[in-house]
Amino acid sequence: MMNTTEETKKHILELLKSVMDPEIELNIVDLGLIYNLEIEDKKINIDMTLSTPACPLGDAIVINVKETLKQHYPDYEVNVNVVFDPPWNPSLISEEGKAKLGM
Amino acid sequence: MNNLQTDNAPSITVVKPHFIFAGIAFFISTVLIVLADNDLLGPYFGVKIVAITHIAVLGWGTMIIFGALYQLIPIVFETALFSERLAKINFWLFALSISLLGYSFWVNSLTGLLFYSSLLLLISLLMFITNVLLTHKSSKKKNIQSKFIITSIYWLLVTVILGTLIALNFRFAFFEKTYLHYLKIHAHAGLVGWFLLLIIGVASTLIPMFFVSHNLNEKKINYSYYFINSGLLLMVIEWLFFGTDNLAYIDWLLISTGVFLFLSFAWDSYKQRLRKNLDTGMKHTVISLLLLTVPVLISIFLLINFNIERIFLMRITTLYGFSIIFGFITSLILGQTYKTLPFIIWLEKYKKHVGKAKTPMPKDLYSETLAVYQMYLYLGALAVLTAALISNAVLLIRTGSYLLLATAIIYNINLFKIVLHKTKTEKL
Repeated sequence: MMNTTEETKKHILELLKSVMDPEIELNIVDLGLIYNLEIEDKKINIDMTLSTPACPLGDAIVINVKETLKQHYPDYEVNVNVVFDPPWNPSLISEEGKAKLGM
Repeated sequence: MNNLQTDNAPSITVVKPHFIFAGIAFFISTVLIVLADNDLLGPYFGVKIVAITHIAVLGWGTMIIFGALYQLIPIVFETALFSERLAKINFWLFALSISLLGYSFWVNSLTGLLFYSSLLLLISLLMFITNVLLTHKSSKKKNIQSKFIITSIYWLLVTVILGTLIALNFRFAFFEKTYLHYLKIHAHAGLVGWFLLLIIGVASTLIPMFFVSHNLNEKKINYSYYFINSGLLLMVIEWLFFGTDNLAYIDWLLISTGVFLFLSFAWDSYKQRLRKNLDTGMKHTVISLLLLTVPVLISIFLLINFNIERIFLMRITTLYGFSIIFGFITSLILGQTYKTLPFIIWLEKYKKHVGKAKTPMPKDLYSETLAVYQMYLYLGALAVLTAALISNAVLLIRTGSYLLLATAIIYNINLFKIVLHKTKTEKL
């Protein structure tokens, strides 16, 4: 089979790079907000966090994740679970992300 | 769903009118500054200065804080606002009472219209205070931020009660001492108790969020709370019950220590920030924090007194109030508007479009170039008006007033660009 789970995961992460944190102006993947991604049967399960629990844009980011994936995986059920444990910290930002932020 | 704090967010119709009214009030206060002309160089308790002060602190500062608090309280208290309807009624009553109060001072109707407008203001502020306290009652979350917010609300109550008494005294003359004695407490309860404590409480959440800095030492904020409150309480108790200010240096030391602990916390956040490049919103915020040191220095100068001529000290007293209201508070709002309002409006317009269509970003809702002009005009206005008050120069007062008016016009252009934004989406 061409499209293995690992490839799907990679593709999903690539798609999620279009979802921006509008405040930090960096995508949620490079920001390190995606904690876990599982694919089982026709379900995509994502554990993700926000850069701050008080983030007023949290709702919009979660909707953005769901809608982006629904466009490309219409037959899948997308579950997004927002967690704050462990809390996000800047060390989770990817090297690419750090470069974009000028860190 | 998702244990997100946004679930408790209030309706946009509660928040938006506060920002609009505040922007217009800022514009009106700068028009009045132009019209007041050399009255600004007269005594700090002159009716024109008092009118401008009340329109600025209530219509501009307090109005926008109310709007921001309705948005922020659900996040800090982790519960929805007690009553949105009360908040909406409160807005109209508050807006009406500020307009009447400002007008009564401006036309010197201290025994007539002021009486009714101050009672109306008292009622509207009591409504706000009730709404917040009842929201807090149903909140399980008790943190340092909510402690600051609740305490500042009690200080707002003290401020408005004293203000109402002063207004009633113009009509019924029941004070034993001159009203200026009470004015001093009224002003400090308002500027330090209400504004400063509230801003520290809110800023200790927002500053690290906007700088994106983590693991900060909140102890400084905690100590700051006790220093400022003890200094202010001591000042108020001594003034009210003994009619003296022998402990003024101790009050000053306590409050200033609190201010510097807060500034030190903000400095830690600034140093650890993830975002190295600051946008205009954050530059204005940094300027505001730096400006907070100005009233601290002016107040010690006024305390030491130096036996300088009285008319000069009066202008420096005006400068003291000006540095807090049009310095610290105004710079903060001029910046924080760009960090909050575009996001609030963006959420309203684009929440249902995200992921389905290409949407602009919150920062695309206003002109950053205009914001930059706004910042430089503001800094110019501040410098020129400060020089004018020190040197008693009418020409400088006029120049500075027009620069401040230009700042307000540019701010309002951006403000209306944001609130009147039409949804624009493109296909993905």
